Amino acid sequence: MAVPDPVTDSAAPLRPTYAVRLLNWSTWAVIAALFVVSVRQTGFSLDGISRGAVDFVRFFGRLAPDWTALPQIWAPLIETLQIAYLATIFGTLLGLPVIFLASRNTTVNGPVMWVARSILTVLRSIPDLLYAAILAPILAPGPLPGVIALTIFTMAVLAKLASETVESVDPGPLEAIQAVGAGRNRMIVYGVLPQISATLTSYVLYIFEINVRASVVIGLVGAGGIGNLLNRYLSFFDYGGLGALIIVVFFVVLAIDQLSVWARSRLI
Amino acid sequence: MSHITFSDVEVTYKGGLKALKGVTLEIPRGQFVVIVGLSGAGKSTLIRSVNNLVVPSRGDVAIEGRSVTRATGKDLRRLRSGVGMIFQTFNLVKRSSVLRNVLAGRLGAVHPLRGVLGVFPKSDVALAHDCLRRVGIPEKAFVRADALSGGQQQRVGIARALAQEPSVMLADEPVASLDPPTSHAVLRDLKRIAREDAITTIVNLHFIDMAREYADRIIGMRDGLVVYDGSAEDATDEVFEAIYGRPIDEERDLRGRT
Amino acid sequence: MPRAKPDLGLIPAAPANVRRTQWLLVAVVLAMVALAVFFLLTMNLPSWSRVQTGLERNALPLLRGFVNPEWGVFELASRAMLETLFMAVIGTAIGGLLAFPMAFLAANNLLGSRLLAFPGKTFLVGVRTFPEILFAIIFVAAMGPGPVAGILAMGINSIGFLGKIFSDVVEGIDPGPSEAIRAAGGNDLHVFFYSVVPQVLPEFASYLLYRFEINLRAASILGLVGAGGIGAPLIQRLQFRRWDEISMIMIVIVVVIIVVDTLSSSVRRRLV
Repeated sequence: MAVPDPVTDSAAPLRPTYAVRLLNWSTWAVIAALFVVSVRQTGFSLDGISRGAVDFVRFFGRLAPDWTALPQIWAPLIETLQIAYLATIFGTLLGLPVIFLASRNTTVNGPVMWVARSILTVLRSIPDLLYAAILAPILAPGPLPGVIALTIFTMAVLAKLASETVESVDPGPLEAIQAVGAGRNRMIVYGVLPQISATLTSYVLYIFEINVRASVVIGLVGAGGIGNLLNRYLSFFDYGGLGALIIVVFFVVLAIDQLSVWARSRLI
Repeated sequence: MSHITFSDVEVTYKGGLKALKGVTLEIPRGQFVVIVGLSGAGKSTLIRSVNNLVVPSRGDVAIEGRSVTRATGKDLRRLRSGVGMIFQTFNLVKRSSVLRNVLAGRLGAVHPLRGVLGVFPKSDVALAHDCLRRVGIPEKAFVRADALSGGQQQRVGIARALAQEPSVMLADEPVASLDPPTSHAVLRDLKRIAREDAITTIVNLHFIDMAREYADRIIGMRDGLVVYDGSAEDATDEVFEAIYGRPIDEERDLRGRT
Repeated sequence: MPRAKPDLGLIPAAPANVRRTQWLLVAVVLAMVALAVFFLLTMNLPSWSRVQTGLERNALPLLRGFVNPEWGVFELASRAMLETLFMAVIGTAIGGLLAFPMAFLAANNLLGSRLLAFPGKTFLVGVRTFPEILFAIIFVAAMGPGPVAGILAMGINSIGFLGKIFSDVVEGIDPGPSEAIRAAGGNDLHVFFYSVVPQVLPEFASYLLYRFEINLRAASILGLVGAGGIGAPLIQRLQFRRWDEISMIMIVIVVVIIVVDTLSSSVRRRLV
C-alpha cells in the first residue's frame, strides 16, 4: 500500500470552516463589547484607582494592630471554626442522599431525579452570605442561622463537585449487587460509596476550607462568628483592633488551608 | 415441574433491535446448560432475562413456576437472591476486600438495615469464608479485590454467588477475559460446585471444546432464536457450523485447547 | 439447600493491620461525632423557645412574601444585577490579566527550581487566603462606597485564585513539545510562544470562566458592605424585612446566575 499523504488523505479539514471562524470572531467581539460596556457603566477608571490607591495605602497604615484586643478575638474565632465544622458535617450528611437522588445511576425514577437536580441548581445559585443574611433576621442573630446557612451552602457545593463523580462510577459492581437481590440503598452503600470514598473525602476537606472562610464573613450580617466583632471594630473605628483581627484571621485561614491541602494530598 | 421455564420470550431493545425473537425452553433442576453462539446472537440477553436484569417485552420467564418477568419490588429481590450471577468482567468492588465482596452476596437475604450498616450475622461471615474455601482461595479473604489475578477475581465472583445459597447460577461469559488454563480451572470448579449443591446452571461460552467438555446440554443461538438444543455428545462440528453460520477451519478455530 | 451450615468456630480473624485500620476508622468517626455534639452543647445557640418566637414572627411573612414577589422592584433589581454583572466582568478580567504573568512566575517548571517559584507562590497564597469581603470593606473605607471598591476586591482575590490554578496548569503541561522546539534550535521565547502558551490557553480560559461564575456570586453580596452591585438594595430591605421585595431581588439573582452558569458550562465543555 502506498504511504498515506497527510495533506490530501486526512479526514478533518485543514483550516476551520468559515462557520467556526465566524463563531470564534463573534465570541471575541461580544467579550470585548461586554468589557467596554462594563467599564463605562461602573465608572471604573485607572486614574480613579490611582487616586484611591494613595488613600488605600494610607488606610493600611492606620491598621497597625493593637494586640491588647487579642483576648476579645479568641472566643468569636472559635465560634467561627465551630460553625464551619458543623456546617460541613451536616451539609455532607444531608447532601449525600440528595446527590444520590439527583444522579442518573442511583436515583429512584426520572421525575424524582429532575426535582432533586432542580433543587440543587437553585440552592447553588444563592451566594453563601445571602443565606446568612436572610436567615439571621428570622432566627435571631447568633451562630444558629450561620450553621444552617452554611449547611445549605455545603449541600449545594458538594452536589456540584460530587455529582459527576457519582455518575461516572463503574456500573459493573452495581449490576452485580442488584443481581444479588439488594435494593437501591444497599447498592449505593456497597457499590457506589467504596468507589467514591477517597474523592468524596477530598471534596469534604475542600468544602471545610471554603466554609471557614465563609464563616469568618457571615458574622457581618449577624450570623455568628468573628464577623460580628469585625462589625463592631468598624463601627467604632477601632482600626487597631481591626488590624489585629485581620492578622489573626489571616493566619488561621492559612493554617487550615495548608492542613487541608496536606490532608488531601495524602488521600489521592 | 421444571426448574426454569422460558415461555416464548421476546426482547426488543429501544431503537427496534430484536435481541430475542421468541425463545421457549424448559430446564430441569440441576442441569448444567451451556449456551453458544456469535456475539449478538442473544446469549447475554437470554441469561439476563432469568433474573430480570433485562425485562422481556413479550413472554415470561419463571423459576419453579413463579414468574420472574412480572415480579417487582420485594418479590423480585427475593427471587434474585436465589439466583447467583457471575460476569465476564467479574464486577467486584475493586477497593473493597475480598471478604466484603463475598458478603455482598448476602445483601439480598439480610435485613436492609443490616445491609446498609454492613453488619452481617456471624453465620453469614462463616458462610462467606466457607465459600472462599470451596473456590480455593481462603487465604485471600482480607486482601483488596483488585490485588488479585483475573482467575482469582472470578473465583471471588463465584464465591459471592455461592454465598447467596442459590438454586440457580448464571454465568455470562465467565472465562472470556481469562487465559485457557485458568479458564478450564474456573469452569471445572464451577461444574463441581454446581454438582455438589445441585444448582441449575446456565453458562454462556465462546469456545466449542469447552462447551462440549463441561455441558450436560448445549443450546445454540443465532440471531435471537434457538437453533440447536441437545446433549453435548450430539453436538458435532456440523452442528456448530450451523450455529456460527460459517465453516470451522484450522485458522479461525473457535475451540479453546489447553 | 443440601449443604450443612458451616461451623462458626472456623471464622478466621482479620490480620492485625486490617483490624487496626478498622479501629482507626471507627475512632475517627466517633471523635468527629463527639466533637460535633460538644460544639452543639457549648455554642451560643438560642433556646428552642427563642427560635420558636423568631419563627412565629417571621416565618409567615417570609413565606407570604416569597410566594408573592413584588414586581415593582423588578426594574431596580435588574439594573442592579446588571451592574453586578459588569463588576464581575471587570473583576475577572483584572484577575485574569494579572494572574497570567503571575502564573509563569510561580511555576516550578518554567523558573527551573522550586526555590525561585517560592516568593511567587507565597504572594498568591497570601492574596488568596484573605476573604474577599475583608478586602471590600477595606476598599470601601479607603476610597468610598461604590462598585469600584468591589471590583478591586474581586480583582485581587481573583489574582490569587487564578494565579495558583494557572501555575498548576503551567506545571502540568507536557514537556514533549518544548523539548522538540529546543531540539529544532528554538530559544526560550520560541518555546514559550509555540509550546507553553498554546497548551495552557484552553485550560486558562476554562478556569477564567469558572472564576467568573464565582465572582458573579461574590459581586452579588459585596453590596452588603457597600461595595456596589445588587447587595446594596438588598441590605436595606433585609433590615426592614420587606420579604416580598427581597424575594423579587432573589429571583433576579438566581435566574441570572443560573443562566450565566449554564452558558459558562457549555462553553467550558467545548474548551477542554
